[in-house]
Amino acid sequence: MASVTSHSGKAHAGGASAVPAPGFLSGPEPASVAEGFRSAQAVATLSPIKWFGVSGALGALAFVTFVACLGFGTETISFANVAALLAQGPFAESEIRNAPHYIILWQVRVPRVVLAFMVGGSLAAVGASLQALLRNPLADPYVIGISSGAALGAAVAVLFGIGLSILGLSVLPFYAFLGALLSLLIVYRIAVSYGSFSIHTLLLGGVVLNAIFSALILFLTTLADPYKASGMYAWLMGSLTGPDFPTVLILAVYLLLGVAVLVSQASALNLLTLGEEAARSLGVEVERVKRVLFAAAALLTGSVVAFSGLIGFVGLIVPHAVRLVFGADHRLLLIASGIVGGIFLMLADTLARTLLSPTEIPVGVVTALVGGPIFLYLLVQQRRRIVS
Amino acid sequence: MSERPETPNRQPPFVVDAVTFGFGRKETAEQSPVLKNVSLTIASGEVLGILGPNGSGKSTLLKVLMRILVPQQGRVKLFGHAHDAVSQAEISRRVAFVPQETQQAFPFTISEMVLMGRYPHHNRTWGPGWESSEDRAVAMQAMSDLGVSHLGGRLITNVSGGERQRAVIARALAQEPEILLLDEPTAFLDLHHQLEIARIIRRLNQERGLTVVLVSHDLNLASQYCDRLLLLREGEIVAMGSPEEVIAGESLERVYDCPVLVDRHPQSGQPRVTLPV
Repeated sequence: MASVTSHSGKAHAGGASAVPAPGFLSGPEPASVAEGFRSAQAVATLSPIKWFGVSGALGALAFVTFVACLGFGTETISFANVAALLAQGPFAESEIRNAPHYIILWQVRVPRVVLAFMVGGSLAAVGASLQALLRNPLADPYVIGISSGAALGAAVAVLFGIGLSILGLSVLPFYAFLGALLSLLIVYRIAVSYGSFSIHTLLLGGVVLNAIFSALILFLTTLADPYKASGMYAWLMGSLTGPDFPTVLILAVYLLLGVAVLVSQASALNLLTLGEEAARSLGVEVERVKRVLFAAAALLTGSVVAFSGLIGFVGLIVPHAVRLVFGADHRLLLIASGIVGGIFLMLADTLARTLLSPTEIPVGVVTALVGGPIFLYLLVQQRRRIVS
Repeated sequence: MSERPETPNRQPPFVVDAVTFGFGRKETAEQSPVLKNVSLTIASGEVLGILGPNGSGKSTLLKVLMRILVPQQGRVKLFGHAHDAVSQAEISRRVAFVPQETQQAFPFTISEMVLMGRYPHHNRTWGPGWESSEDRAVAMQAMSDLGVSHLGGRLITNVSGGERQRAVIARALAQEPEILLLDEPTAFLDLHHQLEIARIIRRLNQERGLTVVLVSHDLNLASQYCDRLLLLREGEIVAMGSPEEVIAGESLERVYDCPVLVDRHPQSGQPRVTLPV
């Protein structure tokens, strides 16, 4: 890069500058360069150290939350007992293995809390990515209709019982993936056609998509037998009930893959927040990146919905909170949102299964009751910012 | 830094050859093109101003140069290389684009924004990609050149329009480009900041030898700061030449469909346009 040499006033029509000149105009001022260094040092742009530090700290917090959540439920298990039973591992000696607390802990709670962590984390990571992609801080897979698209895909598969498993693997996530992808493409089309900055167009589009998909799901449900239908309703409310270890493991594979892909595109996501044109001018292969992001977001939303139904607002409030604390850089935002989203849903689910114990509240109800009002608050804030 | 072939610098920065571009599907694009058979050569080190009424294709031409838009017909060569034969990142290492307006819904800091200019220089085989110390040094230099170093920690959403525009130009400089494309760089700025940005552009051209192409509605600013002007109407080049030839000539009234008075700027003697009473 050419150094800043300055021959001030060369070919300046106006002679002496009336405009207070920035450093470049006023020539080599040691003071301004020094100031540049000082402030640039003071500015903490993301470094690997910060990345690992924050992720590590949040990871530790997630583990503590995980252990704490294991103790709560219809049957309370003391913290010391949880720790002791955890230390036994999943394949303990048979006499311990038959102890009621051991069974509750390892066969019921651990899979469930792990599922809550993974689902919450994925929803938050998808939310953060969609927000960047749609340039809209209020985007959330549930609010803009991606989740209900996935639910429709899954509902079609369940109610018509089409090819529900291949080689013993459930293909439900695949149908949910297709549904999510379809609605994502529709939503994206809506967002760009009226300019990606129209927050309200996107939200309205989401509302209508949700209405259409819900209507289709209800229509399909009326065709199904009542037993299937009631299971359907419970699932639509969003529930983390009764996963077994193999299910959790399979889901973990899908979700880790999806999150890894999102994280690998973090720099491109940063640039996409400037808009597609600006991103392209900065060297982003926008079409390729978009395809990758669509696929990953649909994979994550589809898998999550297939296993746990509709859980809303996690993808909205978690990235928002994380951004306030750690800034907007997606390289950190995605991973931090993932972990915090996991923590959030572990807590929400613990609340859902203890509040009215032994009756369980669907976790989707809890997240909507917490997230909905926050969403409305943010909507009003956005509106103010646009007006002012 | 980047692999820059030896010969191309003798080639002109841009050769635009019979470019036709339209929006939308192929048929509609061909029926109502925004750019019609546009050909021009941009010389190294010049400041070229693109003028024309609303909807004449000014910004579109600029975006075609940046390959933000890809023409249906004709070709664009960048330093002798066909546009479609190079990657977007390669283009972005040599050409930087300053959009008309930068909207940002997320709380990025000015430093983070300027560092985004290093993206085309990143080596991203896998993972999110980290800035090297060189990336940081280049970005810091660009910020100090544009006088926004002290704003490094401020949020892009919380600075004034003039400051934001300087930060965006700093981001463009962080790309270490040879060509700078600006879309109405002064459109949303008051007089003070218009002058400031215009002077910055001239200094970049004179001291760094940056080739500058700018789109402007401001005929007088263009007359003052551009070596050569290009006048577009309905996607066609109507006039091209020195400000003397383009502004003072007949074509201006014809293109804008409006009578104009042309006299001289009292200091520079460049043609100056005012509207009749």
